[in-house]
Amino acid sequence: MLKRIAAIAVALAVVAGGGFLIYAWNPAITPIARPNPAAFPHDAVARGEIVANAGYCVECHTRADLGGGPELAGDYKMNTPFGALFSPNITPDVETGIGTWSEAAFRRSMYRGVDRDGAHLFPAFPFNHFTKMSEQDISDLYAYLMTRPAVHMTHRANTLPFPFNLRILEAGWALLFVSPGRYQPDPSHDAMWNRGAYLAEGDAHCGACHTPRNLLMAEKSSAPYDGAVIDGWIAPPLNAHNPTPVVWTEDELFAYLRTGVAPLHGSAAGPMSPVAHRYLGRIPESDVRAIAHYFATMDDAAHRQFQDAAALAAALKASGRDLSGPQHDAAVRLYQGACAACHYNAGSAPVLGRPELALNNALWLDEPNNLYQVMLHGIGASEGQSGIAMPSFYAGLTDADMARIAAYLRATRTTLPPWTDLEAKAAKLRAAVGPPPINASH
Amino acid sequence: MSRLERIARQSDKAYAARHDLSRRGFLMTSLGAGLAFGFARSAEAAQHFPSAGTLPGGGAFEPNIWCAIAPDGSVNVNIIRAEMGQHIGTALARIIADEMEADWSQVGITYVDTDPKWGLMVTGGSWSVWMTWDVFRQAGAAARTVMVDEGAKILGVPADQCTARNGVVSAGAKSISYGDIVARAKPTRSFSPDEMAKLPLKPAGERRLIGQATTALDIPDKTTGRAVYGIDARLPNMLYGRPKLPPTRYGSKVQSVDDSEARKVAGYERYIVLEDPSGTVPGWVVVLATSYPAAIRATDALKVTWVAGDTAHVSEDDIIAHGRDLIGKPGGTRIFDDPGNAQAVASAHRTIEREYITTSVAHYALEPVNALARLDGDVWEIHCGHQWQSLWLPVMAKALQVPDGKVVMRTYMLGGGFGRRLGGDYAIPAALASKEIGGRPVKLVLTRSDDMQFDTIRSPSLQSIKAGLDEHGAISAMQYHVTAGWPTQVMAPAFMAKGLDNQPYDQFALSGADHWYETGPTLVRAISNDLANRTFCPGWLRSVSAGWTPWALECFVDEAAHESGHDPLDYRLSMLTAQGRNAGKAPSSIGGATRQAAVLKRVAEMAGWGRQLPPDTALGLATTFGQEREMPTWTAGVAQVHVDRKTGVVTCQKLWLVLDAGTIVHPDGALAQTQGAALWGLSMALFEGTRVEQGRLAAHNLDNYTPLRIADVPDMDIVFMENTEKPSGLGEPGVTVIAPAIGNAIFRAVGVRLRTLPMRPDDVLAALRDQTRS
Amino acid sequence: MTKFELNGKPVSVDAPDDTPLLWVLRDDLMLTGTKFGCGIGECGACTVHVGGRATRSCITPLASIEGASITTIEGLDPDGNHPVQVAWRDGQVPQCGYCQSGQIMQAASFLKDFPHPTDAEIDAVMGGSLCRCMTYIRIRAAIKQAAGTTTHE
Repeated sequence: MLKRIAAIAVALAVVAGGGFLIYAWNPAITPIARPNPAAFPHDAVARGEIVANAGYCVECHTRADLGGGPELAGDYKMNTPFGALFSPNITPDVETGIGTWSEAAFRRSMYRGVDRDGAHLFPAFPFNHFTKMSEQDISDLYAYLMTRPAVHMTHRANTLPFPFNLRILEAGWALLFVSPGRYQPDPSHDAMWNRGAYLAEGDAHCGACHTPRNLLMAEKSSAPYDGAVIDGWIAPPLNAHNPTPVVWTEDELFAYLRTGVAPLHGSAAGPMSPVAHRYLGRIPESDVRAIAHYFATMDDAAHRQFQDAAALAAALKASGRDLSGPQHDAAVRLYQGACAACHYNAGSAPVLGRPELALNNALWLDEPNNLYQVMLHGIGASEGQSGIAMPSFYAGLTDADMARIAAYLRATRTTLPPWTDLEAKAAKLRAAVGPPPINASH
Repeated sequence: MSRLERIARQSDKAYAARHDLSRRGFLMTSLGAGLAFGFARSAEAAQHFPSAGTLPGGGAFEPNIWCAIAPDGSVNVNIIRAEMGQHIGTALARIIADEMEADWSQVGITYVDTDPKWGLMVTGGSWSVWMTWDVFRQAGAAARTVMVDEGAKILGVPADQCTARNGVVSAGAKSISYGDIVARAKPTRSFSPDEMAKLPLKPAGERRLIGQATTALDIPDKTTGRAVYGIDARLPNMLYGRPKLPPTRYGSKVQSVDDSEARKVAGYERYIVLEDPSGTVPGWVVVLATSYPAAIRATDALKVTWVAGDTAHVSEDDIIAHGRDLIGKPGGTRIFDDPGNAQAVASAHRTIEREYITTSVAHYALEPVNALARLDGDVWEIHCGHQWQSLWLPVMAKALQVPDGKVVMRTYMLGGGFGRRLGGDYAIPAALASKEIGGRPVKLVLTRSDDMQFDTIRSPSLQSIKAGLDEHGAISAMQYHVTAGWPTQVMAPAFMAKGLDNQPYDQFALSGADHWYETGPTLVRAISNDLANRTFCPGWLRSVSAGWTPWALECFVDEAAHESGHDPLDYRLSMLTAQGRNAGKAPSSIGGATRQAAVLKRVAEMAGWGRQLPPDTALGLATTFGQEREMPTWTAGVAQVHVDRKTGVVTCQKLWLVLDAGTIVHPDGALAQTQGAALWGLSMALFEGTRVEQGRLAAHNLDNYTPLRIADVPDMDIVFMENTEKPSGLGEPGVTVIAPAIGNAIFRAVGVRLRTLPMRPDDVLAALRDQTRS
Repeated sequence: MTKFELNGKPVSVDAPDDTPLLWVLRDDLMLTGTKFGCGIGECGACTVHVGGRATRSCITPLASIEGASITTIEGLDPDGNHPVQVAWRDGQVPQCGYCQSGQIMQAASFLKDFPHPTDAEIDAVMGGSLCRCMTYIRIRAAIKQAAGTTTHE
């Protein structure tokens, strides 16, 4: 911490002085002719594909709105508190992509967040994580990207207002918040843990979503993996602060990351869904297992697991609450009509495909965001548990209905204090849903 | 002859006069006569069961319009009642087949399209079996007579030595099937009504199908998705429509329409401001699109401004308050007005007076109302499920400005009736929209909230009863005032009944109050709540007024028993004396109040009336005569309830019902109808109900309208009295006793008397608080 | 163009992504056994199987079932003799019948999860399926009958 404070002081001093400009200046790296794809060895390309999947490159470098765009051609819209950013084209197109980038230029961008011209990249590009990646991985990733189809496409202009649009400032940001350097194995842990840590901290950049950010949008080094809000969803804590009643064990984490569903926690929806389905499902199983192992260690699962049997029993008991015999409570009747048919469980464990809400992350988080998001959007067959779908209750439930269900579930299926302001929060998240679905009710 | 039969016959006669047909032609047409009348037999009938079966083809013997026997032995029975869950076709076909001595395994049923030859097409009031009983037995007897006579000729024996059984005529060792008789003899014989009435009907002891267990012919297709409902209708080149509903049911006028946003919806075609000469759907706008989702979205996007009608701010409380005013004033129609009733009440040993309220109830038939309309040649075809075709066909002709007879309704299964589909507010807008685009098919479907917004609800009601008690506590005089919206006045004024002094009144907003108790000089007065009639379109809802008048009468009788220290069972029995107007008349009400007393005694025995129960738990009872005095279904029920004093939750633990509906034609169907009706009664007692707010219904869908679900169902024990009297109806009577039985049980459990339906936990808590205070 | 499997056969549908599956099934693919009831996922009349699980099709957007396997009442059993259907007929369950496709689809899926259901389990899962004719007593009995005969997948 002292070190960080010192760094800030130094940085401010530097900014004050003109020396900063010298620090911040990076030379352009000479453009090259687009490398012949055939020149890259097949095994390097194959390894690079794994690196790309472990880092979800496609996710943030492919346009998602306006009906989508070609893979890796950029123009993905990212909403920040300051304005919208659009990601660059990273196909090997020579004019609009990275076709003229040498491997050195590419490596510099990954490690230092500087493009070939020497311009600073916005920290939405998580080079604070990529800097930990091995030179081999970077080299393989380069081989993979340079052998993709070149797409000629420019991205829309960013809408960041002054002064946030000044890329020079990013240099100061990087100085403050990024510690460049490769991942250093921790000898106190085994190889599996270190592999997991290497991936999670580097390529997979888990902290980018799961670590809260400070006012300057940098990950808080004081609260790693404490959970954060992203795109209206809560990326839950991945450490011991995770509030679910049953601990995230290595097996649960593995199942979640590999298949999109953890039987005792819920399924991957929203921004997390593609992480499991599009990317981690396509890297070696051992790597996913290593990430699971890393986080299971971080959340101290082994030592907290003794409570799980009791928690599971309590959850299953709560699951059937108020559903048998005549019901008169308005919230119960709503839950009975809209939710219970799919979410009720009994016996000793939830049925796969019947997400048990009493166990689900969404009910135990500090805010109802994820519960609301799932109510509003549903979960498609390609998300969450593959092949099954939860409908969208956008038209089915009013804000008041959503609030009523949320309050009821929080009170009866968790041991946590009530959520507040539920109706207003429902309205806010509803407003953020794109074109509203067809409403066959009103 | 009952009022209804009179109306039916008048309607038949009127048609016959117009078409120069004799009544004989209606009842007894012989082979080919259908064609002679210009009807293409059953070829256009929409629905035939069992679906694997076929209609009798050429060469069938049609002894009358109701049935036909084909040379292959198959029998078809034409059903003019709507199939909405009663399995009515099965019950009616059993009547005809029994009398015909048909082979049941060869019997099929056809739910027919509209045609003037059918006479009155209405399905409601629990009338179907009761209305059809005589004519179908006669029709069956006619067929049997011809089969025996022709069979005897073929067998070469005298007819009186032949017997008919199971589709075969036999004499000693010789026999011939009905099919072979038709194939060989090609019978064409017909009967005059007088001849038919003289045909010997089988004695009850000879019945072989009526009263025996069977399965319903319409059920298999309802387990495979094959049953076809109105909403499943489809025609080539069809557009989909959804109405944009005005702010008030009546009196709203369209000022302007802006479809600039609707135009952005892919598939949107146009909007139509309906001009309705029949006045059924004033101020409605219909949006047309190439798919229903597009119609939904475009309707949401369409901006219409209306000048609202003057009921835009009317509330449930306003309607009840208006009813109270009306009761306090002269007017209305007297149904009973025994001499000296006012004096007798005023001079009684003591008097008690109570007021009872029921709040709005929606039908929520699960299939939202819908219709598909088109012009085919010069005939308008309306495809939908409907309960009262005869009422609406002329209204549709008026709306479309075409002559009577130029509109035909094609028949479909109904995804719930409950009285909702007695209305015309969905067929007419579909037809008007189609007319506007030159008769191209338009399938108009209301979304659920559209359906609820202008549902023909069970009107809020207010009833006031004042009785004089003698020194023994017996009721010695009664004045009973009933006010609610009058559906029949609004939708079918010609069908209103006449009270004393020949004044019209809506029997479906009074029945149940005209009770069979001996109460000394009695006044029963029905008053139309005109504010209700203007604010919404009041409707007939399962059990009509008999679903809510007992809420007052049966609670009141319990209150009087309690006030005078009598047991509610004994108190009621002492009033069921079957004297005077309560003696009953053959055939429908033979036995009168003694039959009501019998069901009451029986249900009390079954429920163990008088036994000890745990704290805050009690039995309550109620008894009714079903739907109406002219067709009583003697009904008694006991409810066992537990009241949670902390939460106010009333749990109905068990229901016992005993019904005397005369002959039970289709026992399992009767049981199913009574189970469903009783649970409707329970739903309306404890679970569902809404209010009029700002001129419209507060509830709009299941998130704020909460009918009974499976977890809410109590144990039930249902028994039918066994006798061979003329059958009455069973579609509704199960509803009638439930709410008062529960209200009475609550009183016996915790001592609080609720006088407003539904009974919600908050109402119970409030009453318990008042009890503690006093 | 959305592709999925319907009653065992591949289909592709050209309809807007947000079109509720219900209308695609009824109006585009002409399988009208699946019914429109409340439109908000609270009555169960529109229940179909998505990946074998009972799902309310009236609020399930077409795009969300891309690649999934859908079964409707028409495809539950080729001869209409799924144990639940047989039990429904034996018990004479349907009245108007409008909700029954949904009830049957819900019950068939329910019995896979709860092969020997208790009354409480029936209440909890079947509580989402409204029957306005109130055939609930018979639904409960038929489920118990089918539980004796349903085979597990």
